[in-house]
Amino acid sequence: MSVEPIKIGRTAGRALSRLSWRFVPAAPFLIVLLIWIVLWEVLHPSKETLPSVHDVVSTIHDLAVSGMLAQNVAASLGRLVLGSLFGIVSGVVAGFVVGLNRNIAEMFNPIVVFFNAISGIVWLPLMMTWVGIGTVLIVFLIWNTVFFIVFQNTVLGVQMVPEVLEQGVRSLGASRLETLRTVTLPGALPYILTGIRSGLGFGWRALIAAELVGAASGLGTMIFNAAEYHRSDIIISGCLIIGIIAMIMDRWLLLPIERRTVQRWGLVSDAEEER
Amino acid sequence: MSIATAPRARALPLPIGLSAPARYLRTVKFLLPFIILVGIWWAVELAGNFPERVLVSPARVWDTLIVLSEHGVLAEYISTSLSMVGFATLISLAIGVPVGFVVGSNRYAARSLEGFLRFLQGVSGIAWLPLVIIWCGFTHTTTLVVVIYTLIVPIIFNTMVGVRAVPEYYALALRSLGASRLRLITNVYLPGALPSIVVGVRLGMGYGWRALIAAEMLVRQGGLGDLIFGARTSGQIDRIFVGMILIGTLYVIVDRLLIQPIENLTVARWGVLRK
Repeated sequence: MSVEPIKIGRTAGRALSRLSWRFVPAAPFLIVLLIWIVLWEVLHPSKETLPSVHDVVSTIHDLAVSGMLAQNVAASLGRLVLGSLFGIVSGVVAGFVVGLNRNIAEMFNPIVVFFNAISGIVWLPLMMTWVGIGTVLIVFLIWNTVFFIVFQNTVLGVQMVPEVLEQGVRSLGASRLETLRTVTLPGALPYILTGIRSGLGFGWRALIAAELVGAASGLGTMIFNAAEYHRSDIIISGCLIIGIIAMIMDRWLLLPIERRTVQRWGLVSDAEEER
Repeated sequence: MSIATAPRARALPLPIGLSAPARYLRTVKFLLPFIILVGIWWAVELAGNFPERVLVSPARVWDTLIVLSEHGVLAEYISTSLSMVGFATLISLAIGVPVGFVVGSNRYAARSLEGFLRFLQGVSGIAWLPLVIIWCGFTHTTTLVVVIYTLIVPIIFNTMVGVRAVPEYYALALRSLGASRLRLITNVYLPGALPSIVVGVRLGMGYGWRALIAAEMLVRQGGLGDLIFGARTSGQIDRIFVGMILIGTLYVIVDRLLIQPIENLTVARWGVLRK
């Protein structure tokens, strides 16, 4: 929240600079678009190598009209939600258990470090032999990815709550559970939400990677199948949609939630730094 | 999908001046969870009487590890993966740091690139893999492109953040004393941004290592990802276990013994890490 500077005169110039400030984020996208158009006009590559902008737009339109897009997006998002839910719940619960107990934390640390290093996509071949291709496999991989990030952040958050606060509330007669609910949880919440936010980012990436070979539907499957028929227009459309969904999820869903929590329970300056 | 903040594990206290028994105790404490885990694995394997394609005993995995390393196969897989990560890191640093510097020195450029980088990160490198396969075929180049794409985004982003975090008056002070632009970069901006750059490299390695494994699974031109994915098709589950253990161990070694010390060193030398 920066204070608006008092302005006398030069209003038009300021308005202009504020306007350009608003729209600069679009610049790199426009530049890439321009390069793409020029490259295509100069080289006239085959459709398999590089489709024209027009091809990609009409492919996105076709995919949307035929319902294929909605179907694949729904499949991917459904798996993401399911896997993330498992990951968040188990990560927060395990994080509280470990975070509240220093001995357990010390004991589990080496194992957490190791399994964190192989979280996600590394499990693909093993889980493919165990559960086969399909939703169970993908949900497991997302759970595995999200769990470790949420878990580590929860542990950190719980450990960051000053013990004095917990003891203070307890000495006033609160039960252990009540203290957890009213002191530790709100105190750790900003960290937990940061964990959830980056966990979902990782989860989304793991999802696409896993779907390339481990599923029969979804955005990852869509682009991987397109590669077999050399349909680069579908691949590019798919990548654009993957990026847009990731951005919508992060900017308009998770960031606002995180910001609000941080403002309510955490240090406000942190929220500003994230901007 | 916060790019700048990594879920940072707390550093273990350095075992300086520990007496022999204390050091022994530390080793035991470190190994105990793994010993328990292997014990459980072994017990499950013995109790379940699983077919060889589903689960094998730790002893069997150990034998496979010995056999593979004696034939030199393992060294080849490992060196392929490690050299790929090494190459990708060097190239990403060579391109990403200068780009981050240029962009970071202008607030309009920084703002415009931030959104773009977030978008690029939302479309994981692995989502572009099908397209890169069309362009470059099933070659090492394809893997390299995907890993560089994954690595370079956090490096550019963190360099940019690091440069922007250097207080302007440091540069102004040096300029008023007659320092050249080059001098400003080497004496103010580079040291000031270095801790952030190292964080970017560390994060990038985390993403990049996973992207590498995933790409190797699909490109099938050697590397640890190829090892575990190839073993799945031929039902050699012992090889999958060997591969997963190696992937985890190598990552922990690279992260803990190479990058974390550099990070600690830069932070100790050039100041507090900004969150």
